[in-house]
Amino acid sequence: MYTIKGLLQKDVYVFKNFKGNIIFSIVMFLFLITMASFQMDCFLAGSILFLIFFGMNSISTFSYDENADSDKYLLSLPITRKEIVFSKYLFVFLNSFLSIAIGILVSFIITLWVRGTVNRFADSLRICCLSFTSVSFLMCSNIPCIYKWGVEKGRMQSVIIPAVFIFVVGIFGGILLLLFPEIYQELDLLSLFKISPIICLLLNILFYGVSYMISYHIFAKKSL
Amino acid sequence: MEYNLEITDLEKKYQDFHLNHINIKLPQGKIIGLLGQNGSGKTTTIKALLNLISYDKGNIKIFGKKSTELTKEDRENIGVVLDDSFFSPILNVNDINKLMKHFYQHWNEKLYYDMIKKFKIPCNKPLKEFSNGMKMKIKVLCAIAHEPKLLILDEPTNGLDPIFRYEIVDLFADFVSNKENSILMTTHITSDLEHLVDEVIFIDQGRILLDIPKKQLEDEYGIIEVLPEHFNTIKKEEYKKCLKYKNIYFILVTSKQEFQKKYPKFEIRKPSLEEMMLLLVKGE
Repeated sequence: MYTIKGLLQKDVYVFKNFKGNIIFSIVMFLFLITMASFQMDCFLAGSILFLIFFGMNSISTFSYDENADSDKYLLSLPITRKEIVFSKYLFVFLNSFLSIAIGILVSFIITLWVRGTVNRFADSLRICCLSFTSVSFLMCSNIPCIYKWGVEKGRMQSVIIPAVFIFVVGIFGGILLLLFPEIYQELDLLSLFKISPIICLLLNILFYGVSYMISYHIFAKKSL
Repeated sequence: MEYNLEITDLEKKYQDFHLNHINIKLPQGKIIGLLGQNGSGKTTTIKALLNLISYDKGNIKIFGKKSTELTKEDRENIGVVLDDSFFSPILNVNDINKLMKHFYQHWNEKLYYDMIKKFKIPCNKPLKEFSNGMKMKIKVLCAIAHEPKLLILDEPTNGLDPIFRYEIVDLFADFVSNKENSILMTTHITSDLEHLVDEVIFIDQGRILLDIPKKQLEDEYGIIEVLPEHFNTIKKEEYKKCLKYKNIYFILVTSKQEFQKKYPKFEIRKPSLEEMMLLLVKGE
């Protein structure tokens, strides 16, 4: 666990390098959310903004590792391939989670301060969960591509793979709709939305679990 | 004799390169220099013994254990310098110290900072602002500061100026002085090895050309420089390699005393490692 802590710290140091940009962005976002809140309820938009802007930044740590060929060096220390891959996933998850958590907190405080109340707070939180899961899906499809093809080529592939996945799921759903229209009539979307945090939790476990196993499988065989 | 590292019949095939029957035995207290031109197989050998690449045949033992079966505790006793790989250049010396404390149980912070001070390395500057020589010094310090028993160094003096090289070579000599530690280092800068190594291995195109203790090399090997008209008087079986350069034949002999007896008129001198490498690789 001590090694994992060190590996996480290594990636935090990369972020530390952008601390000026990060602080500037946070101040700018806080200002924008505050201004916009005078016109409308910005709780949801603010939370998602933080998630997308800061949560997806963790991929940049792969670039820094690749440029310095750090994985090769790390493997010459008492560190295993499993620990390297695990720490990356943990970092990506923690970064996304903290981003949305901070986004929710600051947006909540600003909205409450400016407007006195947050409209449909519970529903907004559910949408935050869905957004978080969507980001997890993108990140989890991105990471194995990076391990397989490197950061540059991997990024291209990681656009294609989710697109193909969504296309296939869309086609499959469309066929189901044509063949069994009664399924959709019986589907209670409101009930599903109410239990969406649980569905999101399960989907996140699935995405991270499957993606980690694929990445580890790739990295374990990789010649460095 | 106890060996810190044993490589037996190591083979690795690529499409355009074949590392072929590499055998290295590194006893405690010794330094072996793996010498060869770029692309000769030095780094591939290092990568194989660090399990960075898989290999097709052979056996690698470190501290008597198969390299693939080393525990974290075993790996604590190895220090590595890789020419082309390190931490991200945005980190500084203090950051690296904090990370290494997590990675090594026996990280000696005092030793690390003592050496940082000795080599006058600034602590708060990011690595990207350092010269190649400074970066290499930090790499070497990181390999030594957890007090390992075996150092594996891939081109540790690459990019260093002569003063830096002297300091680092001195550090390595000090490292093995306890007679338990040992070093395997690769380089194509032969002058670094002249006064440092106990054994030298010449490698080219994935094959070991010559593996010889430095003392034996100094005692038995010699070089003769002769003009073409004299060259024709020497029988082929009397020398190992010869190379014509600027109308002078450079001849490598493996038993200088015997050669001197047969050809007393030629002056035999001690070969430098650079000349040895050149003759072994390019000679006929």
